[in-house]
Amino acid sequence: MINPFPVLPEFEYIRPKTAEEAIQFLQSHPEQARPFLGGTDCLVALRNRRISPNFLVDLKYLDGFQDVIFHPHDGLTIAAAVSMNEMIASEPVKMTYPLIAAAAREVGGYQLRSRATLIGNICNASPCGDTIAPCLVYGGMLAALGPDGKRCIALKDFFLGPGKTILQPNEIVCSIRFPLPPAGSRGKYLSIGRNALGDLAIAAVTILAFPDASQPSGYCFRIALTAVAPTVIFAEEAQRLLSQTPLNEKTLEQAALLAGQCCSPIDDIRASAHYRREMVRVLTGRALQQVWNALQKDVQQEGGNG
Amino acid sequence: MADQIVQMTVNGRLEQYRIPQHMTLLRFLREMLALTGTKNGCEAGECGACTVLLNGEPVNSCLVLAVECDGATVETVEGLTERGALAALQQTFMEENAIQCGFCTPGMLISAYALLQRSPHPSDQEIKEALVGNLCRCTGYERIVKAVRQAAQA
Amino acid sequence: MPELDQISQGIGENVARVDVQEKASGAALFTDDIQFGSNLLHARIKRSPLPHAIIQSIDISQAERLPGVKAVVTGADFAGRIGLYLKDRHIFARDRVRFIGEPVAGVAAISEEIAEKALDLIRVEYEPLQPIFHPLDAIKPDAPLIHPDLGSYEVVNFIFPEPGTNISNHFKIRKGDVERAWAQCTAVVEREYYIPHIQHVPIETHVAVAQVSHLGKITLWSSSQSPFAQRDLIAKTLGFSPSDVRVISPYVGGGFGCKAGVTMEALPIVIAMKAKGFPVKLRLTREEEFYTNFVRQALVIRLKMGCDQAGNLLALENTMYWDGGASTEYGVNITRAGGYSSTGPYDVPNVKTDSYCVYTNNIIGGPYRGFGMSELHTGIEQCVDELADALGMDKVEFRLRNVVQGGDTLATGMTMHPTGIKECIQKVAAAVDWGKTSKSTEPYLKRGKGIAIMWKAPAMPPNPGSSATIKLNEDGTLLLGIGGQEIGQGTFTVMAQLAAATLGVPVKAVRIAKPVDTDYSPYEWQTVASRLTWSMGNAVLAAAQDARRQILAIVAEAWKEDVDDLDILDGVVISRKTEKEIKLKDFAVYGIPKENFEGWIGGPIFGRGKFMPTYVTGLDKETGQGKRAVVHYTTGAQAFEIEVDIRTGKLHVLRAAAAFDVGKAINPELVRAQMEGGLIQGLSSALFEQMIFKEGTMQNPNFVDYRIATTVDLPDEMMTFIVEVPQDDGPFGARGVGEHPMVPTVAGIANAIQDALGIRMQGPPFTAEKILLTLQSQEEKKG
Ligand SMILES: Cc1cc2nc3c(=O)[nH]c(=O)nc-3n(C[C@H](O)[C@H](O)[C@H](O)COP(=O)(O)OP(=O)(O)OC[C@H]3O[C@@H](n4cnc5c(N)ncnc54)[C@H](O)[C@@H]3O)c2cc1C
Ligand code: FES
Ligand code: FES
Repeated sequence: MINPFPVLPEFEYIRPKTAEEAIQFLQSHPEQARPFLGGTDCLVALRNRRISPNFLVDLKYLDGFQDVIFHPHDGLTIAAAVSMNEMIASEPVKMTYPLIAAAAREVGGYQLRSRATLIGNICNASPCGDTIAPCLVYGGMLAALGPDGKRCIALKDFFLGPGKTILQPNEIVCSIRFPLPPAGSRGKYLSIGRNALGDLAIAAVTILAFPDASQPSGYCFRIALTAVAPTVIFAEEAQRLLSQTPLNEKTLEQAALLAGQCCSPIDDIRASAHYRREMVRVLTGRALQQVWNALQKDVQQEGGNG
Repeated sequence: MADQIVQMTVNGRLEQYRIPQHMTLLRFLREMLALTGTKNGCEAGECGACTVLLNGEPVNSCLVLAVECDGATVETVEGLTERGALAALQQTFMEENAIQCGFCTPGMLISAYALLQRSPHPSDQEIKEALVGNLCRCTGYERIVKAVRQAAQA
Repeated sequence: MPELDQISQGIGENVARVDVQEKASGAALFTDDIQFGSNLLHARIKRSPLPHAIIQSIDISQAERLPGVKAVVTGADFAGRIGLYLKDRHIFARDRVRFIGEPVAGVAAISEEIAEKALDLIRVEYEPLQPIFHPLDAIKPDAPLIHPDLGSYEVVNFIFPEPGTNISNHFKIRKGDVERAWAQCTAVVEREYYIPHIQHVPIETHVAVAQVSHLGKITLWSSSQSPFAQRDLIAKTLGFSPSDVRVISPYVGGGFGCKAGVTMEALPIVIAMKAKGFPVKLRLTREEEFYTNFVRQALVIRLKMGCDQAGNLLALENTMYWDGGASTEYGVNITRAGGYSSTGPYDVPNVKTDSYCVYTNNIIGGPYRGFGMSELHTGIEQCVDELADALGMDKVEFRLRNVVQGGDTLATGMTMHPTGIKECIQKVAAAVDWGKTSKSTEPYLKRGKGIAIMWKAPAMPPNPGSSATIKLNEDGTLLLGIGGQEIGQGTFTVMAQLAAATLGVPVKAVRIAKPVDTDYSPYEWQTVASRLTWSMGNAVLAAAQDARRQILAIVAEAWKEDVDDLDILDGVVISRKTEKEIKLKDFAVYGIPKENFEGWIGGPIFGRGKFMPTYVTGLDKETGQGKRAVVHYTTGAQAFEIEVDIRTGKLHVLRAAAAFDVGKAINPELVRAQMEGGLIQGLSSALFEQMIFKEGTMQNPNFVDYRIATTVDLPDEMMTFIVEVPQDDGPFGARGVGEHPMVPTVAGIANAIQDALGIRMQGPPFTAEKILLTLQSQEEKKG
């Protein structure tokens, strides 16, 4: 029986001045302290008594945690405390990493996104976290800080299962960095929820594709699937097929089928496993079609220009 | 239960408050400041009835700790009404009958206000997307969307 | 007295709502907004974790000792049973619990934090009993009895429980001879539908504050559609006299039926009885709102309908099993309403109806916008479509041929009054270009159109009363006292219009006396059944006429004129004969001096009025026959054009049209607002809503997983039409329309899906997944 209390459980609110101080606090209060950013997952979990930390450590006000930094050569860094709305509005995200913005726009309502963060979405490690898949296809690298200093974690290695990551309890994620998307890349994010917008994803598909002369098909595809496995996953067989087989309607269709087969969704109150699988197939098919159209258009235009 | 001293500007007034650390901004506004125009519909970020402006941005006040607002500026429907910020929207909400029970109205107005601040001439689709986090069980939304559109044109 | 139509000034005009200024500024007071100061105690409820169990023991001793706890109560403290039509519920469970979430104990403490700790300290031991979660299981002969004492419960005389079973009401209609009629039918359709539990989802959850004085007088502040019913029911259950209880009810943040009758309001009262002097507040969390209060009960409906070659309906057999839940104190009358309206708005000569209210260990069912009619019409209107299909007849034509008309004898024997249902059908059909097909932009998007119609009568006891008072103020304004509640439907505005028009003052001169307060407001049965415009409206009209009579008599005497030559226009009494004028404010309270200081005429003016239908008769227990089952029926129709993505199952409404016969629209924009809001609520229930239970535990008690329609789910276009065939005893001919707009929606969408895809969806919600799976299984069948 879900029976939350109207008030939050008691805890102490900690606002560290530096990231090091935050780590120290986490280190000296094992199992008792919890870092948070926007709190949109954290406070709900507290209210439902799913977690009961004695201390909430607010990372929002740490130096450098509010920055979005773009280098035309190195790529993009989004710091932990940047809200989804700030991120969606930022020019480099809109122009160069549009899939992140597209997925973020599907997270809750606008007022939720004033607080919700990309890093929070990632650290929460929900299989239906909307923004995780775009971060995966752009090759995101997390910068984590712990008692032993900094380490870089490739996002694809970060998740262990629903709500589980390789992050240590005394580590925090400071930012996520993305290399520049490969030249000529095109992408699409498609998701389906119960309402037309604003609902958690029943299934979502994120595709990034770009010309790659080293591949037999001449293209490389990254396809990430949301809400259809214990973590967000890559549809590897589909990716392989698309890089190795000449691209045409049939290959795309087959790739969509493979994507539907490679996931391991569950039945829950939001949807059945069967429906989720179907949606992966349909959404992948549609997204591939759109991405393929865009890629072809690029070729035609290049041809025209050259 | 640990309290904390917090400096906050609420509806234009900077004051010092002593606030329990686990108190949400929603509870603080309603219970300590009697600013009851901000409504409680779920306390879980889902209904938008508790929407207020925090440093100018709309937030679900049920998902913000009051102590997080140390040094921040908070505006509620009362403050925004007093300084006339909502006048155009209030007028069109009244004219279009976009209000029935009125429980969602303060949150709706604030979400709509924030939208018009960042996008003075929104399309209908933009209006709908901006209000997707505000539930209304009475009106069927159509009149709310229309009222926002009218206010943008005014 | 002038005729009503001569003083209909402002009637039918889109007067601005009288409550919007407050509501648009955050100033409007709702129950949770009232400030009670630092002595306020916070109540929390210990609830049953089991669906069916004997309570072996409750140990509250530790909780009582916790510092800050002021009161702990259990069912042992209060023996009485409560209920509107059938007293089958304890305020706190006593010997056994019957659903998950049932109150077992309650605490009041100086903070919610302490109240939470206290609940943890209460120890309850249970002996589990076999639970029943489906009405069809509950009616089996060997089913365990959920209410073994049903035979001893107090019940009103039009509800028929069957003691020794789980059936708490059985309503029957036997009209004509269905068995013989089937033989004459060319087409017969036989179907079963399951309509799941849904919830009202007012954005304001239930909240009530109780204070009990040291003399034992009770004051209750509650978000309520029924202050007077609460006073009466709670007082009687606790052994008080109703006038010892005072209920104060400010604005209500949405009700839709769930704030009618008594649900959680008695809890803080009995807790406060153990903490005298303190105000005690209980506010339900969103989760508690979902699974501890009234819900719309689920329904299993079995329908058999048949018609002849020409398309005339000949017979209908309707068997309904309402999943009343653990208590059916209110639900028994939904069963009855479903029964006497069981033909839908059709003229059917042979009818056999059995409507059963069945106890289960599910959450308690209560009134929900439509009072059973949405569920009923979801079945009827799909069957009607199938019959028309079977004959190859146009569905609009089929309906026009069979709809009930003024003068028809209804299934209960009552004679139907004139109604505009045909016009409603024609209006909505035309609005969606019925009969024409439109093309979608993609091959995988399929379009279709559907229509559904409805009727509904106010469902209530035969004699629910209304009353109103009008007090003139020194400034010429008037204070209108009413006991009906503003729950968003706009009743304060409509009442102000009725009073203003009758009296001859501008609407802005009318103030509504609020909050509704049972000590000061005139009596009103409940704000339910779409009855206020009609019933309370009549009382307001009578009060205004009474005040008008008093005013004119004073002026006539002062001016030595005939009252028939006088009139009141815009707050000024005028003489049509002598062209004299006097403003109301110049004499409303102090009177008019006689000539030459020879004394005074008049005095404070105070009008009063009442209304109660006196003509509703009982219905025979075995046949359901009687002279007049109900006061009247409001009828209407909706039509939809939809588009479905056949690869995902996603449904999008392109056009929605609604038309209802409201008799007379006192305020047309408010009528349209009801039509729109109801349509979207109906659409939401058609597409998204279902309370999902696992062994009696609700799996989705929050907005994350109980989805309702939001701004992005709106139809591209919504059209509304007002039809006005006057009601003989309605104020200016008006009938109510609060509930009706959500009644036909589910069926209308189901019929549109059938048109678009050739599949029958049966029961809602028609989620994308369900549509896709139904499509797929149909394709499999085809091979
Ligand atoms: C009503 C509602 C609707 C929602 N809808 C969606 C939706 O549609 N799609 C979606 O994907 N999500 C949704 N969410 C979930 C949530 O809003 C997102 O996951 C959000 O991005 C979380 O960000 P945050 O900053 O609020 O995280 P927080 O709550 O602050 O943190 C999330 C988790 O990460 C941990 N954490 C936070 N920061 C760090 C750090 N720097 N280092 C290590 N650990 C950290 C916290 O301890 C916590 O466990 C919804 C939530 C609500 C309440
Ligand atoms: S109360 Fe904050 S979103 Fe519902
Ligand atoms: S007006 Fe009632 S919830 Fe919006």
